[in-house]
Amino acid sequence: MSHDHDHDDHDHDHDHGDGHVHPAAPMVEEITDFEVLEIAVCELAIEKGLFTAEDHRRFTEWAEQIGPAAGSRLVAKAWTDPAYKARVLSDPVGACKEIGIDWAEPTGSGTPSDYMNLRVLEDTPTLHHVIVCTLCSCYPRPLLGHSPYWYRSPNYRRRLIRWPRQVLAEFGLVLPPEVEVRVEDSNQKCRFMVLPVRPEGTDGWTEEQLAEIVTRDTMIGVALPRPGRTADDVRPVHKARRPVPHEGGAEAHP
Amino acid sequence: MTASAASLDDAPAPVLQELRADEHAWANIAPRYGVTNPEPPWKVSLTATLECLSAGETLPSLERRHIEDRLGETIFRDLSGAELQLVTLAQILLKRGVLSEQDLAERLRAVRARLEAE
Amino acid sequence: MSGNSVPARFNVGDRVRVRDLPNLFYTRTQMYVRGATGVVAERTYEDLIPEDEAWNRDGAPREQFYIVRFRQKDLWSGYPFETDTLQTELPDRWLEPAGG
Repeated sequence: MSHDHDHDDHDHDHDHGDGHVHPAAPMVEEITDFEVLEIAVCELAIEKGLFTAEDHRRFTEWAEQIGPAAGSRLVAKAWTDPAYKARVLSDPVGACKEIGIDWAEPTGSGTPSDYMNLRVLEDTPTLHHVIVCTLCSCYPRPLLGHSPYWYRSPNYRRRLIRWPRQVLAEFGLVLPPEVEVRVEDSNQKCRFMVLPVRPEGTDGWTEEQLAEIVTRDTMIGVALPRPGRTADDVRPVHKARRPVPHEGGAEAHP
Repeated sequence: MTASAASLDDAPAPVLQELRADEHAWANIAPRYGVTNPEPPWKVSLTATLECLSAGETLPSLERRHIEDRLGETIFRDLSGAELQLVTLAQILLKRGVLSEQDLAERLRAVRARLEAE
Repeated sequence: MSGNSVPARFNVGDRVRVRDLPNLFYTRTQMYVRGATGVVAERTYEDLIPEDEAWNRDGAPREQFYIVRFRQKDLWSGYPFETDTLQTELPDRWLEPAGG
């Protein structure tokens, strides 16, 4: 059974209709063992009847189009439109629909991991939220796309709840003691996103300009938006040294 | 469950030990080609596979994530990101007898041959 | 799926303590909140508790879920910042009234 792959890091040469031929973006020319393994596992799983090719295709299309731009648009709109902001807080899933994000996709009742219970956490000058999922790494993917690897790491998940200010400092974010740091451990079906405080120096900005400074990390709560900051830092991978005892799982590993 | 789970943690399944994990890790290979995408292109397909498995209750995501955390600090400590997810998934399916070593080994050869012929 | 639900016992603002029930195979009630006292910050939705979901007991009643907020000082001994908090989501049966 053949299996379609989109190499999404690569553009074909073609005329965009503007008279210019755009050069191909770089792509990895080798076929990695991991690429081969992924295809093989998927094909065998479909052949075993674990799921259908149609379901896989539907979820693949969904996974390809999610990204943090949606969250950025939501925040920028909330910053410029107080009535929209009120709807973001009172009816978050409805407010997402207004910006073209439907939490019911792709099944009509959401995905098995994301559900349909978004909550938006509003920061104030004296309250800063930061989000974690200690149990696994639940994340509001319809709004923010795929979670970054550090968010999934036992290192972040174990330490943020216990030493939030130290972990935030490692991200370059230091908050004064009079600001309440509120950790949200998203352990059930609610999914959370931070609505940061609109920073100084953005008066008169358009929604597009504002969305540019609302990066993924500012909507998780490990960074604050500010003029000129239009990208998140790349974080090195640090593996935790001690095995993590799982909260809530059976105590003796089965 | 106990017996199969014990061998889950003991060692990578033989077919997985053949993976050129270091050489082909995206973090190592992408920079050689000037590719800046932080994720390999097959990650979206893997994401879909994991959602399908979770929906079908073959492998609930909480259970899979616990195993991923454990193996990521033991037998798969040299893997991370999408590769850790993928290899953990394969390990679970193999050790639980959902897929056989032989079937997977044969399919790996066939897929590679097909891709290399394109 | 059964339509019955257990009446919600708590309202926003109630002080609650997290019970330390014996673990079934998978539970979403973290060890670090067991025995801790917090305040109900929000009622979220009614649903099967995750343990029942794990065992596919669709006939089990649905319960209210809550976001419960804790002072970090009450969760971790020696936590140095007075006003910091942590909140997480818990089903009705995992909570009991906390006096005072």
